[in-house]
Amino acid sequence: MKFIGFVIVCLTGALLLYGTGEFPDWGDPASPASIHLSNHYIEKALEETQVPNLVTAVLADYRGFDTMFETAVVFCAGLACFLLLRDFSRKKERFYRHTATGVILHVKDSKKVLKTGKEFEHMDKDWVPSDLIIKTICRILIPFIQIYALYVVAHGDFSPGGGFQGGVIFGSSLILLAISYDLKTLLSRVKEKVLGIFAALGVLIYVGIGAICMPMGGNFLDYVKLVPLVPGDPHHIRALGMLGVEIGVGIAVTAAMAVIYINIVSEGRHDEGL
Amino acid sequence: MNNYPALIVIAPLLAALFAGLAVWIKERLSYPIALIGLAVSAFSAFKVLMQVIDSGTIQYRMAGWAPPMGIEYRIDLLNAMVLLLVSGIAFLNLLASCKSVDQEVNDRAGSFYTIYLLFVTGLLGVTATGDLFNLYVLIEITSLTSYAMVALGDRDRGPLASLNYVFIGVIGASFYLLGVGYLYLKTGSLNMVDVANILSGIHGSSTVLVAFILCMIGIWIKMALFPMHVWLPNAYSYSPIAFARVVAPLMTKVMVYVMIRLMITVFGFDYIFESLSLADAVVWLATIAILAGAVMALSQKNLKKMLTYIIVCEIGYMVGGAWMGNQLGMTGAILHILNDALMTFALFLVVGNMVYKLKTVDLVDLKGLFGKMPWTMAGFVLAALSIIGVPPTCGFFSKWYLILGAFEAGAYHFAAALIISSLICAVLFFKVFEICFFEPMPEEHGHMDSHSHAVIEEAPVSMLIVSGLVSLSLIVAGLYSGTIVNTIILPFLK
Repeated sequence: MKFIGFVIVCLTGALLLYGTGEFPDWGDPASPASIHLSNHYIEKALEETQVPNLVTAVLADYRGFDTMFETAVVFCAGLACFLLLRDFSRKKERFYRHTATGVILHVKDSKKVLKTGKEFEHMDKDWVPSDLIIKTICRILIPFIQIYALYVVAHGDFSPGGGFQGGVIFGSSLILLAISYDLKTLLSRVKEKVLGIFAALGVLIYVGIGAICMPMGGNFLDYVKLVPLVPGDPHHIRALGMLGVEIGVGIAVTAAMAVIYINIVSEGRHDEGL
Repeated sequence: MNNYPALIVIAPLLAALFAGLAVWIKERLSYPIALIGLAVSAFSAFKVLMQVIDSGTIQYRMAGWAPPMGIEYRIDLLNAMVLLLVSGIAFLNLLASCKSVDQEVNDRAGSFYTIYLLFVTGLLGVTATGDLFNLYVLIEITSLTSYAMVALGDRDRGPLASLNYVFIGVIGASFYLLGVGYLYLKTGSLNMVDVANILSGIHGSSTVLVAFILCMIGIWIKMALFPMHVWLPNAYSYSPIAFARVVAPLMTKVMVYVMIRLMITVFGFDYIFESLSLADAVVWLATIAILAGAVMALSQKNLKKMLTYIIVCEIGYMVGGAWMGNQLGMTGAILHILNDALMTFALFLVVGNMVYKLKTVDLVDLKGLFGKMPWTMAGFVLAALSIIGVPPTCGFFSKWYLILGAFEAGAYHFAAALIISSLICAVLFFKVFEICFFEPMPEEHGHMDSHSHAVIEEAPVSMLIVSGLVSLSLIVAGLYSGTIVNTIILPFLK
């Protein structure tokens, strides 16, 4: 079996090498990829879309339809993690920690409901006390990370950035919170339900902006048709449309990142996890 | 402005997102939302098909950009037919699925419907698009959703089947993407028609040859052509039945459509059959696929598994027909996309009814089923006859075109394999009939055997009506296959 695999790998490699024979030269300015469509984008994008960042213009306008489905892929990944991993069953054993002294109670009978006051908190067997230095540093860092994420989202159409990058940065701030404190701290600030709703809502903003263009008399995602709905300079309507969809992407990516992280580290139990 | 082409794909996508919201707000709403989304989609697909028949190909520019710059939906007779097929089957299956979803994935029904809708969106998008990269993105959506669905199925074996599917599926998708990359290097474009125009000037290029081979291998892996089929039987038989019923008839057929689209629209018949000499080898491969699929089906002890191997066999028919290089073969292949989707759907609906009542469908579990579920079994007989290819049903007509095409191309081995596999299917299904009809019902089965021998325990009415309708449609499609060929397939091939 290994031998057959080896032969197949060699054949595939040979095929790929054979295909490189007629590649255009490295960096060739006359290669088809750099003369056919690219020129149009480079010369006309600013004029047609009023967006100085060409990459964003291609990504969110000329080929915005692809990007919409990429966002749907992200949503789909988050949903799949939730669907497959989320475990609603109750645990057999439970642990409670006395916050002041650190004494731990171990309840073996899951049927008994133990009523605890505020001085006890629910915890897990694999709980590790978190470090004061790490906690403090992360507490200072997280707001800055989040502000930066918002800048990246908002600046997508003028400079490098955009919804995917901003969403990932924002999502990583949530993950940092979960790592430096614990998963429960994150979940007490951002409920699972909120994350679930936002993941769908983000994509819905994108698809919704596209869909509104249809009753306004345009094709799907044709931002120009939104002019009557949006106050301000009609020349910038495409830029505004792109900003709208980038915000949708950012929300969806943030929520999907958090959902994926939470479900994978805690194996769907949503206890303390990693 | 006419927005039906976009609506076919956008309606289920919007419905998926609203269903995804409903999961958190009121889970019971997700089912009606899904129904509405797919109904709108099926209606739009019907409108589009009528328009295309009346006035020819529709071009729909996404975001209003002209084709090579932006993404375009280009809907001709072939797409329009497949779009209606996909949205119709997805809608009908959803009608029949309410009860079996409650039975199998009760606690996460909302997420199930969301993923289901995204899967259908992916299939519809793959079919409607006229852009090579957009096609890849939507293949990604269909694949991702089907991995999740397969893992959700059988508790023990579903996840492993899904993992296998992930590995092989990802390889298939990356082959296709690599092929598109090679094409982009040589043409600088992603729009199918534009690429085809540029390619017609550089037929001799080795890069184009490799791009063609890579795209074909990628799509073959996705459609489970014989040596690359290993993921399919487990993935389809361990997924939840409500999903198996839609993935089995549609996924492979849509991939066959993609292959035909690439062959006709992008690379062109001149290139494939005159510049290259691969056609004979592929027809041989298809012949082997047919025989291997049939023989493997013969050795199965579980009805679901058996049907999945029959899918492998049917893929061979369509690939062989498409690579025959003549109009008759291609007509047969395209007609078989339609017919095989209907037949497989009918069979899986019936199996769904059985699973709903019996839980497992090993052949030994089926004893005495004619007495217990007479209506279900009537549907099964019709669908089985159609797979075998008995004249008034639709299966006969596409096989007829395929055989004629094989004779015209001189591919007698293919015609022989087709007839042999039909005989094997006959043996298979008559074996099942025998078990269901003649073998007595086991004593311990059913809790009411003190009353009478044959306790009728039919599946719920919603499931019965849908499976009855689809089984009857097999005869209707058979009777009207002349009309389908004359109004859709032949004008398309001209």
